[in-house]
Amino acid sequence: MLNKLYKTFKNLGIFPKLLVSYLILSIIPLIIMGYIANKNLRDTGLQAVLRAEEMGSHNLQAAEYIGKTSIADSVVALDRKSTEAIELRTVELAARIADFLYERDKDLRVLASIKPDSRHYLDIYRLSNRDVIDTERPPVTDTNKADSPIMTSSNPENRDAWRHLPPCPARKLSRPLYKEITFIDLQGREKIKIAGGKISGNLLDVSRKENTYCRAENYFTHLKKLHKGEIYVSRVIGEQLKGWLYNTPEGIKISPESSYAGRENPSGKKFAGIIRWATPVYNEKNEKAGYVTLALDHTHIMEFTDHVSPTEERFTILSDGGSGNYAFIWDNEARCISHARDFFICGFNPQTGKAVPGWLSEQTYNEYKKSGLTLEEFVEQLPSFSNFTQVKSASIEQIKSGFIPLDCRVLDNAPQCQGWHEGTEDGGSGSFLILWSGLWKLTTYSAIPYYTGDYGKSKRGFGYVTIGANVDDFHRDANITRANIEKSLREQGRKIISENNKTRELIKENASTNRLLFILIAVMACLAVISISLLLSLTITRPLRQLTHGAVEISRGNYEQSIRVKSQDEIGQLAKSFNEMAKTVSEVDKMKSDFVTTASHELRTPIQAMLLGISGILEGYSGKIDGEVREDLELAKTGIERLMNLISNLLDLSRIEAQKIEFTVSQVSLAEIIDRAIAEVSDLAQKHRHTIVKYVPADIPDIEADHDRMIQVIINLLSNSIKYSPDGGKIIIRAGEKEGKTVLTVIDNGYGIPSWAKEEVFKKFFQADNIMSHKVGGSGLGLTIAKGIVENHGGYIYCESPVPEGEFPELPLGGERKGAIFVIEFPTVHNPRT
Amino acid sequence: MKIRKILIVDDEQIILSYLEKKFTKLDYSVYLAGDGEEAVKQAFLNNPDIILLDIKLPKLNGIDVCKKLKADERTKNIPILILSARAQASEIKIGIAAGADKYLCKPMSFPDILSEIRAYDNK
Repeated sequence: MLNKLYKTFKNLGIFPKLLVSYLILSIIPLIIMGYIANKNLRDTGLQAVLRAEEMGSHNLQAAEYIGKTSIADSVVALDRKSTEAIELRTVELAARIADFLYERDKDLRVLASIKPDSRHYLDIYRLSNRDVIDTERPPVTDTNKADSPIMTSSNPENRDAWRHLPPCPARKLSRPLYKEITFIDLQGREKIKIAGGKISGNLLDVSRKENTYCRAENYFTHLKKLHKGEIYVSRVIGEQLKGWLYNTPEGIKISPESSYAGRENPSGKKFAGIIRWATPVYNEKNEKAGYVTLALDHTHIMEFTDHVSPTEERFTILSDGGSGNYAFIWDNEARCISHARDFFICGFNPQTGKAVPGWLSEQTYNEYKKSGLTLEEFVEQLPSFSNFTQVKSASIEQIKSGFIPLDCRVLDNAPQCQGWHEGTEDGGSGSFLILWSGLWKLTTYSAIPYYTGDYGKSKRGFGYVTIGANVDDFHRDANITRANIEKSLREQGRKIISENNKTRELIKENASTNRLLFILIAVMACLAVISISLLLSLTITRPLRQLTHGAVEISRGNYEQSIRVKSQDEIGQLAKSFNEMAKTVSEVDKMKSDFVTTASHELRTPIQAMLLGISGILEGYSGKIDGEVREDLELAKTGIERLMNLISNLLDLSRIEAQKIEFTVSQVSLAEIIDRAIAEVSDLAQKHRHTIVKYVPADIPDIEADHDRMIQVIINLLSNSIKYSPDGGKIIIRAGEKEGKTVLTVIDNGYGIPSWAKEEVFKKFFQADNIMSHKVGGSGLGLTIAKGIVENHGGYIYCESPVPEGEFPELPLGGERKGAIFVIEFPTVHNPRT
Repeated sequence: MKIRKILIVDDEQIILSYLEKKFTKLDYSVYLAGDGEEAVKQAFLNNPDIILLDIKLPKLNGIDVCKKLKADERTKNIPILILSARAQASEIKIGIAAGADKYLCKPMSFPDILSEIRAYDNK
């Protein structure tokens, strides 16, 4: 295989050799390098992208984890902070309510300390006013945060996290604290009565319930038990308002005919209640003279919670019961006394003076229906806080009735009621979370530390304030942050993917650009290599070809060869040497040619003189000559003729060898030239008694040849046969056609030619004596000249010997007659050199 | 008309003398020239019937002599036989092209030369 490759390589020309070598040396390493470089670049690039993707993914996961954790922590922290803030607010609210209530104690004590007098009472009534927010008219100014003139501090050092909330823009109404101030005697008859801003003449016996507020008051019975300085404080008394709730897809709505419910129903009738304060009045003799009572307008209590918002707003003109962010007040018996929805406040039936029974769960309400009791009776006998659970649902029938006061003790589908009640048992405060209506709600509670009268019977005091708030609102910021983080992470993720894709694309692009560049370089390198090889091989082979051509020309006798090679390398030196050689050869040839020409001319001239002389004598131009002189002169003439012949043959030979023989080509008839040749040799043939037989077909085509030279060839062949045959031989000359060639054959039955001499006979001065048993005359140049002429005509001459027996039956063979065949082949169409 | 006046041109004195002797003996008027210029001069001067002209000549070679004589009105009709040792086909061609009537190659025997000249009798 390698050997075969090597052989193939060896047989290539210089250009393919150079090309193959250069390609192997330059292009293959280039291709390998390019491939490896490109592959490495791409692999490295892709690895980098994969790493980047991994890292990006890790970073994202880490960021997500950190985000989640920190948000969770934030949520917890925010929830805790919010919880604490709301708890504090609840406690403070409760404390303020308690303070407010205690102030009423003071008012009462002041009244009790003065002598009952309607004028004084009226004065006190008039002095006792307190602002309440006007919910019916719009705010005084439309101020909102954005328009606040105090957007930030004038001092830049205060601007970090500057927060400012403008004052409540609400319109405020000055409202009398008390609905009534009365002095009643020991029998319960009103003696002084300030009501509606004036001294009332409508004095009633309040020992009778029907003469009291909502026919519900029974304070007189309590008064009789009071000692000096002791104070009676009633529960909240007011007409039970009605309200209707209904469900909508957006949540619970309140029908417009319902009573006031803050934002949900701002134009409804407001709860109008009182809390009655009373204490005995003693005269100068320290005798109980009667009782002074104050009927606190309950609106002022409700005012504490109606505008509380446990959100960033902090404050609201119209509370929103539907939002879940609002504050309630419950009394010491767990009855609702302040609520965003006024119809939830526990009130009385003003016709009967009886408390309206609280809202029950559907389940409990069904029990009531089965009980056979009135609702009041049924609720009265219900155990407090029994089986409270959200699993229960609100009583629909009560909703339909419009009477749905919240009495925590029996509101058994609202477990938080139990929580508040229990939480305030020790007079404390706190909070808990409850999942209410699908939302996590924080609910805080704080006992109202007011312990006057019956309110002092439990540590719960006046009752408790509760604030409800949506937990999600506390950590809305955290949720926003979470959403932002998630969004940012998603964007980051998308960005990383997109960046990586871009990088991938870039790498691919670069790789493909590199590939293109590389291919370009490779192609250019290929072209360069081919060009260089071509150039190199041209610089080497062109002079070589020129040398070869020159050498061929010289071999043909064209010695005037000069190779133009400028280079100074080996080739150049070779060319130079060649040129010098060609010059020398040319000179030598010219010398030889000149010599031959000169010699032949110079020889002919004396021979001419000799011939003229001898031929003239022989023909008798110089007088009569006798027989012996004639014989001698004939001998001399023969010698001259042979010398002439020799000179002619030598000249011909030198011309043939110098490729300088000249031909005059024409259409030559073979029959004619054969006849001429036979005629020329006939004397010699007759002398040796040889018979010459010719076979020339009539239709044999003419050949294009030099007429005289062809005759010379045939003469030489026939002479050869004559000379090398024993006397009395037979010579056949034949012309014919064979395979597109014209064939001329001369066959004799002479001595023949040994097989080793078949080539030698055509060489000049071949020593015929070597093969002959006797001497024959001749120059030894005949066959050489014949061969030269034939070959210069594009023909071919060869000989065979001995003649195979039976091939030519008419030719007697045998003994020393071995015979020889000389064959001349001409292309039928040929163009000999002229 | 018989050829009577022969101009023989050859640079070889032996040949000139031999041919002069033999042709004179045969009653020809023989004019001799040893070089080309002499040959032209003799031709104009003696108006020979035929010219036997060698090619290798001093001063003016035979070819130029032949051209010159064949170009001149006075001598253009004189047959010129070139007798030269130059026997190459190309040389013969050149001689014929120069206007020679016959190209004979040396060596040639006297009887052959004589018969060549006699061939121009009555031409």
